[in-house]
Amino acid sequence: MQNKLLFNQSSVSLEIKGLPDLSNNENKDQISIISKWKLIIIDKPLIEGKIEHLEPIMEAFYIYSNLFINNEVPLYESKLIDIKAEDLNRHNIVLKSSKADVDPLVIKIGNSILSDIINCFDQLNESSKVRLKKSDIFINYPKKVIFGFDKKVKFLNFILPPLISICSLILISSTLIYFYDTVDNKEKNELLNTN
Amino acid sequence: MILETIDLNGLQSLYALSNRLNLNEVFPNKVTIWKIRNNNPSRKSYVNNKIKSEEFDALIKITVEMSRYLYPYIREILLSREDSEKDSFVWNNFNRRFMELINERFNINCIRVKKLLNPAENDELLIKSLLTLSLCSSNKGYQKLKTYLFNF
Repeated sequence: MQNKLLFNQSSVSLEIKGLPDLSNNENKDQISIISKWKLIIIDKPLIEGKIEHLEPIMEAFYIYSNLFINNEVPLYESKLIDIKAEDLNRHNIVLKSSKADVDPLVIKIGNSILSDIINCFDQLNESSKVRLKKSDIFINYPKKVIFGFDKKVKFLNFILPPLISICSLILISSTLIYFYDTVDNKEKNELLNTN
Repeated sequence: MILETIDLNGLQSLYALSNRLNLNEVFPNKVTIWKIRNNNPSRKSYVNNKIKSEEFDALIKITVEMSRYLYPYIREILLSREDSEKDSFVWNNFNRRFMELINERFNINCIRVKKLLNPAENDELLIKSLLTLSLCSSNKGYQKLKTYLFNF
């Protein structure tokens, strides 16, 4: 008997069917061997497939949403799925079948459904009942974080005072040079007049 | 600011959530939250308090918790913007209140704030901010939001 788990978020449901790995002494309600999954979106065609399709599709949605939010080119393309932004509010998903005679499935979704789908995938990733290769796209911080905002402030504090002092020195000395020249010129003019 | 636009009693909710998340040591009262908010240079009441890393982390935790609690509203606002044929009453309401809050609390002479007040330019920022909040409502929302902020 297969186990079935449902992850729901507003208009999207993710159904996972599979079996526990009893050789690893797992609980009977655990799913370690996923046999089938379904992504049900209200008013949209059903998306379903095998385990080898689930992980690339999850990754595609995570990467695409990351690109979209970070103002990069909102386009993800792979052998299995393409996701492209139509405008700020709509996204086009093209699901390509591995069978040659099946036409690609095109689904148009909005930001609300995109966030529902990602939240369903998050629930699956966080579930202790399903053993899955966890997606760590968001857990690895970018290199910028290593420097941190505290150190950045310290660096600015370090570099700004000498920079300001050098600038002010240049300004003051250049003004003094200007005054020096005029005094000198006046003396020369006076000498010329007396002659 | 977006969360405060949705939740009319924003500061009170932020404080209640900080208590629920046991962040009393970082934010012992509403004034501390108010002071931290004033670190934004675009605000009229800007004060440079030099935000500490634990305060920054606590603010992210509260934001994630608040976006989880406000998820249905955030979703409804995003949905309202999607269908251009229908009258997007929810979106217009949200946008109007956001503008009012910006006018009330931000320095409107600042170029960044002027962009926020321009309906032609603030659409993208508002939609992407709402989507970011909606994507951070899971249990791992803290790590997600932190990563988004550092990538910003």
